[in-house]
Amino acid sequence: MLPDSNFLSVPLWIIDTLSIVTLSLHLISMNFMFGGIIILLFGKFEDKWNNPIVEKFIKLFPNAMAMTVSFGVAPLLFVQLVYPQQIYSSAIVSGWYWLLVVAVVIIAYYALYASAFSKKTDSRQKIYLSIAFVCLLYVSYIYTSVFALAEKPDLYKLLYAQNQGGTIINPDLNSYLFRWLHMLTGAVTVGGFFVALFGRKNEPAFAVGKQFYLWGMVASIATGLVYMMGLGELMKPFMKSPAIWLVLVSLVLSLGSLYFLFKKKFTVSSIMLAVSFVSMVTIRHIVRKLALIDFHDPSTMAVNPQWSPFVIFLIFFVLAIATIWYMLKLFFGKQK
Amino acid sequence: MSYPFWDIEIGYGIIMAFIAVIHVFIAHFAIGGGLYLVVAETIARKKNYLLKLQFLEKLSKFFVLVSVVFGALTGVGIWFIIGLLNPAATEILIHNFVWAWAAEWAFFTIEICAALLYFYGWKKLSPKNHLIIGWIYFISAWMSLFIINGIITFMLSPGDWITTGNFWDGFFNPTFWSSLWLRTGICIMLAGVYALFVASRLKADEFKKRLIRFNSLWAIVGLAIMMPTLVWYISTIPKEIYDAALESKLTPVVAMNASYINAMLLGVVIIVFGFLIPKRYNIVVGTLAMIFALSWFGEYEWMRESVRKPYVITNYMYANGIDVAKAETYQEEGLHEYIQFKTSDKPADLFRRACRSCHTMDGYKPLKQAFDGTDEAFIAGIIMGTQAIRGNMPPFVGAEDEAQMIASHIYTQIDKRHLSEIYNLEGTALGKKVYDVRCGKCHVFNGFNDKSESLLEITEEDIGDILDMAGEFAEEMPEFTGDAQERKALIDYIMSLNKKETE
Ligand code: HEC
Ligand code: HEC
Repeated sequence: MLPDSNFLSVPLWIIDTLSIVTLSLHLISMNFMFGGIIILLFGKFEDKWNNPIVEKFIKLFPNAMAMTVSFGVAPLLFVQLVYPQQIYSSAIVSGWYWLLVVAVVIIAYYALYASAFSKKTDSRQKIYLSIAFVCLLYVSYIYTSVFALAEKPDLYKLLYAQNQGGTIINPDLNSYLFRWLHMLTGAVTVGGFFVALFGRKNEPAFAVGKQFYLWGMVASIATGLVYMMGLGELMKPFMKSPAIWLVLVSLVLSLGSLYFLFKKKFTVSSIMLAVSFVSMVTIRHIVRKLALIDFHDPSTMAVNPQWSPFVIFLIFFVLAIATIWYMLKLFFGKQK
Repeated sequence: MSYPFWDIEIGYGIIMAFIAVIHVFIAHFAIGGGLYLVVAETIARKKNYLLKLQFLEKLSKFFVLVSVVFGALTGVGIWFIIGLLNPAATEILIHNFVWAWAAEWAFFTIEICAALLYFYGWKKLSPKNHLIIGWIYFISAWMSLFIINGIITFMLSPGDWITTGNFWDGFFNPTFWSSLWLRTGICIMLAGVYALFVASRLKADEFKKRLIRFNSLWAIVGLAIMMPTLVWYISTIPKEIYDAALESKLTPVVAMNASYINAMLLGVVIIVFGFLIPKRYNIVVGTLAMIFALSWFGEYEWMRESVRKPYVITNYMYANGIDVAKAETYQEEGLHEYIQFKTSDKPADLFRRACRSCHTMDGYKPLKQAFDGTDEAFIAGIIMGTQAIRGNMPPFVGAEDEAQMIASHIYTQIDKRHLSEIYNLEGTALGKKVYDVRCGKCHVFNGFNDKSESLLEITEEDIGDILDMAGEFAEEMPEFTGDAQERKALIDYIMSLNKKETE
């Protein structure tokens, strides 16, 4: 008898928790970068390309990209652990577009580096950042469309029957247009938060960030609600699940964060934003679970614990956090 | 069978090789380069060669841009690709080794942070702190190798895992340690060769001489680790896998032999230009050494990948994503029933599943050329006998009528003219072609599954008899279904060899 590989190696809740935490980190870094790029391109800063706040962002973008990629790896791993069938199938249906994501990210990455390394901050910055912007727009669209398709097994099966070459983009735009727009406006919102935070001692920059935070939030609440209204058959299970309470929590906390940002109470505002962020990622997680429950219910998967590898991972994980913390302390600390 | 098959014209092997080669080169270089940087920095700081520090700083910029950005993203790229090309195998690796992947990710994150801080820290950090971060970089990068090595070697030699299913049996499998040290040697060698390449462009002064010798030391130490560990590695590959690969004498052996030559050439270049006349180590020599080193490495990886055929995970899953455990069921009940993603074209679905992950019709490992001028019965026979063909293919895991369907599917796409017409041949030349097409896939004279003894020392009539009863020799061997003209040409060809032998 050959070993069966279809099992979970720790109880599902541990994987769910790790997924949600790492996906939150990924999305926050992504929002910092993507939202930041949008605001730098479209915001009205004084003497934009010589503005110290703008420069700071430009210097940080490549690092934010490194973090986005790195924090993206973990949730992608966990989602493949729990939903391999759905994720790969949907990715194969859009194979070429999915694969192109990697190349496009590399281009965006180098554009951000080019921008960070270029000495004179002039209109060239605009070109580099625009390249990065277009690339990331593509990546975000493909991600949303592929993950939305992964929630529709009947649809991807049908699509595959028509075309096996991986050149299909999820045609059911209705089901994910607002999901995508919610992601984009959300990125602008969080980007606005960071601009305000970094510009807290620079009134004009703070004002730009504040405006984007306010209007971004209005837009993301609107797109989010429209997306929710469009859930269709999922609406009933959604309303019966904890997700609906999390929606309330996220809304209240987001508005609270906005209020305290305007009051320049940054710590409270950040905490509220962070908690509402995790709560929204959790909502997303629950919605997927509900959408797929008739096709694949992860809670029915065999659990075949691998405690020693898991504990070793945890040790390495803590070690990673400690090491990074230590290195940052070295870097920003006094040098002997 | 629960995944769709991504049907693209480019061969899977080519896509995989393309991205894997890029990634693997950069990833090993990123580890060796990390060690190189910290060791060189330590020495440079002690002796206070200011110039050298500047040189290292410049090197580290390139290093971060290439290894961190490109290395990390092509790594993610490989992961995307294996998910598209072989989702079933990827799923197995993830389900069994998720905590290894996750731990690898933890080190990957440290590695990226450390690389960035090291690069930004040349001026900002004190020498001591800068070196600490450099060491953290190298250690975490090497730890990523340690972990990923467990998963890669598992695919070739799952060892006791095959019976126990235990994580540790799979991770610390028979080729784990030899491969780890081999790869460590490769990292060091690549770092040396790359640093040599950079140094080759400096003007020929004392600094260059010192630097070239220092870098050559790395290359030679790397080589010195690589060669014995390679022998060790090969000796740890399970014997039945290695023997099967040797027997089919295709890719793996060719690749291995080429790699020995490359390693020798590299050694000679390093000793002569690196140690004896270092000031002459110019860009041409630098490029040559780089080519030797990368070809060596490419050939090694090629060998490693092809030695595993017909499996993607030895004795557990075939390279076309079919579970060994289910093969019998499929053969008895038919494969099509188990394919979850179907189109309206049943034969095409079967063909994709059974053959397309390794072959295209007309591009990479083309089937059209292999079958041009033959007939449906022959193609079906070959499909039923794939495991006997030179090249270590998996057996066809489907029912007999399904093989028939695939055969008609292939038949519609080939050249249906007579062999003599397609290749414009006659006489023994035509006979040789007939042999190559109808027999040579499984029997090479003086080579793979040689049948010289049975074929060359007999009379014309006996050869005729053999062709008449061809279908009865072995389950895998197809009947002879060529027409009278082919038959005559084939017999003439074999007889002509016969005469040569006896003359
Ligand atoms: C695991 C990968 C794999 C699968 C699956 C596979 N093959 Fe092959 N096949 C090979 C390799 C490797 C060779 C060796 C020739 C080479 O390297 O070019 C080969 C050789 C052949 C040859 C001889 C080629 C020649 O030029 O003489 C034929 C014919 C062939 N395969 C047919 C098939 C058919 C039909 C199927 C499906 C039933 C199939 N193969 C499935 C890997 C595979
Ligand atoms: C699909 C693979 C395949 C093809 C094609 C094939 N054979 Fe074979 N052949 C085998 C196998 C398998 C055996 C039996 C086991 C063995 O001896 O290796 C065999 C056995 C033989 C034997 C007799 C056994 C012996 O050792 O004396 C002869 C003779 C032979 N083949 C000749 C041919 C000739 C001639 C052709 C072309 C018309 C041919 N084969 C085509 C696979 C093949």
